[in-house]
Amino acid sequence: MDELQSGEETSFVVDEVSNIIKEAVESAIGGNAYQHSKVNQWTTNVVEQTLSQLTKLGKPFKYIVTCVIMQKNGAGLHTASSCFWDNSSDGNCTVRWENKTMYCIVSAFGLAI
Amino acid sequence: MSDIAKEKAARLLRKRGSVSSLSSHEVKAKEFLGKTKDSMSTVSYMDEPGHHDDLPRPAVQMENSYQLGPTKRFPVVTVNNILKDVLTSYLQEKKYEAELCRQMTKTISEVIKARVKELMIPRYKIIVVIHIGQLNDQSMHIGSRCLWDPTSDTFSSYAFNNTSLFALANVYAVYFE
Repeated sequence: MDELQSGEETSFVVDEVSNIIKEAVESAIGGNAYQHSKVNQWTTNVVEQTLSQLTKLGKPFKYIVTCVIMQKNGAGLHTASSCFWDNSSDGNCTVRWENKTMYCIVSAFGLAI
Repeated sequence: MSDIAKEKAARLLRKRGSVSSLSSHEVKAKEFLGKTKDSMSTVSYMDEPGHHDDLPRPAVQMENSYQLGPTKRFPVVTVNNILKDVLTSYLQEKKYEAELCRQMTKTISEVIKARVKELMIPRYKIIVVIHIGQLNDQSMHIGSRCLWDPTSDTFSSYAFNNTSLFALANVYAVYFE
């Protein structure tokens, strides 16, 4: 517990995290069209890549990453989240990505230990 | 010994804020128009006013609690029931409508957060995520991965659907070490 009291400023940095997410999404589903058979694998890839990049940041954080991939078909989708945490150290970041055939929404929550 | 722990828990609960998606006027959306391979992405996050004043704030000194793990575990089954309860009572016979569902997602997430808070599980941070969507013969995939300590952290999930809409509620509980 001693190292936590060194006065080091660790808080959730949104820009860093959003870049990580964007890269992960681009590399996993970048130029692809929606394919039902591959979606499972895509969600897994996006989330795992995001998580592994986040861990490489080396910050004392627990992460939750959620990914929604939806086919473009005129349907509506609403998402809301409610969080009970410490505002000064914890944060979240949501990236909405789309191409001609599908939407991809990735949310990353980071909670300080 | 338990009094000190209780006092510390009370102090921690007072210190924690809760972020609600209802205050939508504070949401910043950064437009990133990178036209790579005809795709577009936008980033959004919650920014609290006065958040940037935190830098001169002295670091909070926490005393050692000598606790290795949570004294009271997160009751997954109870929370499952809460989710089932709330989703069916709010959405049982509703048709999908853009405005209604927009309000519904925010309301439901606040209600679920309040009910989970009522359980008073000490030292747990709660994240509630709600998705409500229209059923339109489209296909959708929702997945999540978490990097945490599986002995103390857990999640609870419930999916509901009726003829015109579907709803998914996820509650993540993370232990504050």
